[in-house]
Amino acid sequence: MPNAVRRVYLDNSATTPVDPRVAAAMARAVVENFGNASSVHGFGQQARAAVDRARREVAALIGAKQNEIVFTSGGTEANNLAIRGLCEAATAHGRHIITSSIEHPSVAGVCADLEKRGWEVTRLPVYQNGIVRVEDVAAALRPETVLITIMLANNEIGTIQPIGEIGALVREKRNVRFHTDAVQAAGRLRLNVDELGCDLLTMSAHKLYAPKGIGALYVRRGVRLHGQNVGGHQERERRAGTENVPGIVAFGEAAKLAREEFDERKVHDRALRDRFEKAIVERIPDIVMNGDRERRLGHLSNVSFRFIEGEGLLINLDLEGVAVSTGSACSSGTLEPSPVIRALGVNDELARGSIRFSFGKDNTEDEIEYTVEVLVRAVERLRALSPLTLV
Amino acid sequence: MSYSAKFKDHLAHPRNAGELSDANAVADETNPICGDRLRLSLIVKDDRIEAVRYLAYGCPPTLVCGSVLTELVSGKTTQEAKQLTRADLLDAIGGLPSRKHHAAALAIETLNSALRNR
Repeated sequence: MPNAVRRVYLDNSATTPVDPRVAAAMARAVVENFGNASSVHGFGQQARAAVDRARREVAALIGAKQNEIVFTSGGTEANNLAIRGLCEAATAHGRHIITSSIEHPSVAGVCADLEKRGWEVTRLPVYQNGIVRVEDVAAALRPETVLITIMLANNEIGTIQPIGEIGALVREKRNVRFHTDAVQAAGRLRLNVDELGCDLLTMSAHKLYAPKGIGALYVRRGVRLHGQNVGGHQERERRAGTENVPGIVAFGEAAKLAREEFDERKVHDRALRDRFEKAIVERIPDIVMNGDRERRLGHLSNVSFRFIEGEGLLINLDLEGVAVSTGSACSSGTLEPSPVIRALGVNDELARGSIRFSFGKDNTEDEIEYTVEVLVRAVERLRALSPLTLV
Repeated sequence: MSYSAKFKDHLAHPRNAGELSDANAVADETNPICGDRLRLSLIVKDDRIEAVRYLAYGCPPTLVCGSVLTELVSGKTTQEAKQLTRADLLDAIGGLPSRKHHAAALAIETLNSALRNR
């Protein structure tokens, strides 16, 4: 390959590479556990046993009980099931939802859809640090509030929300249920659903070195949900459809590895992130780190580069093999700066120039060095082009 | 569609970037909707574009349109330059997704504006 460039994957918040151990477990399940897990015969029971083992592993990742885990096709479906399912089951108590202004589209979109259909939605601000205030949650509560849905850690800036404190607040309210989207946090933070005080929690396997197509919703015992997929008894009537046994097995293996290697991964990712941030702060002027500096996930950096636009930088990095992401999008002549970065109160130029670098267990120090070199050059090149640098 | 090899080349190696301090035709246009900005400075002598530089802020197509445009107009008479269309520029780039055509429109508009501003 004459034009081969080095490839560095720094988009682990978008998805992670599949761990070969997870792939091997999945491949075995594809071949060996082909039975329908609902079948009574031995083939079915073998598949059922594999699903049960995986369910225990996924439950253990968040300190839940096995029968509180509902497997879904991914985080988006789990968020839909949690929010729609809860709201539709709780109409007798009210139609008010509290959420934040920085939720993932799979939460924000469901809330917006329910709003069109008669629910009221309060979207809490996050202030400059990207964190919801517990007192704002308390102030937003009404007699007709049935659901609070606030993410555990943000997908763009990594800020960690005060979920345990909100959970404590909600514990006293009989008719208010609490959902948290933990897609970015599961496996990266030590989570325990009892300490968090949540009733519903969303996870996705492909953020944990497993393949796409499998996720889970934790549903605390006693919480009523209106099923969204109907027409079968699977997943305790919460999600009809023949179980995706290989996907579930992969998720179980990934959850097990995430627990076993938790400390090692955390230290590794954090060290790379810190090394990266230290280097760019030293070498690139006019940058702004977005989101709270302390209360954030350890594997992610969100940086705005003044005078330049994120997509231009992203493609320049991609040309040199470095994969990152930006929350901003320019299409049809309409600019859509990242709603998350805008929610921090920063100006359009900084919102447009934001880039997310997210590190993972397979990244190396050498890759960080390479990325910094490429980034320094790309920023210099784009700034030399930018009319915004003119005095 | 993915971007052409020419597009990538211009993005990685912008041509004629910068400003001409002795320019006699300058324009700085902004797309009011998306905020993309292009600045052209030209030296026109005996009705011919002798030198051209550009600066750009915005999405990659805007950066590339500026770069390719400078190559297209360099050495042309002002009459020839005025006849350049958005389609000519898109052809020279090797095409752009339709949602990015506004970048070419901004480049042509900035060129015409500079030629008017002499």
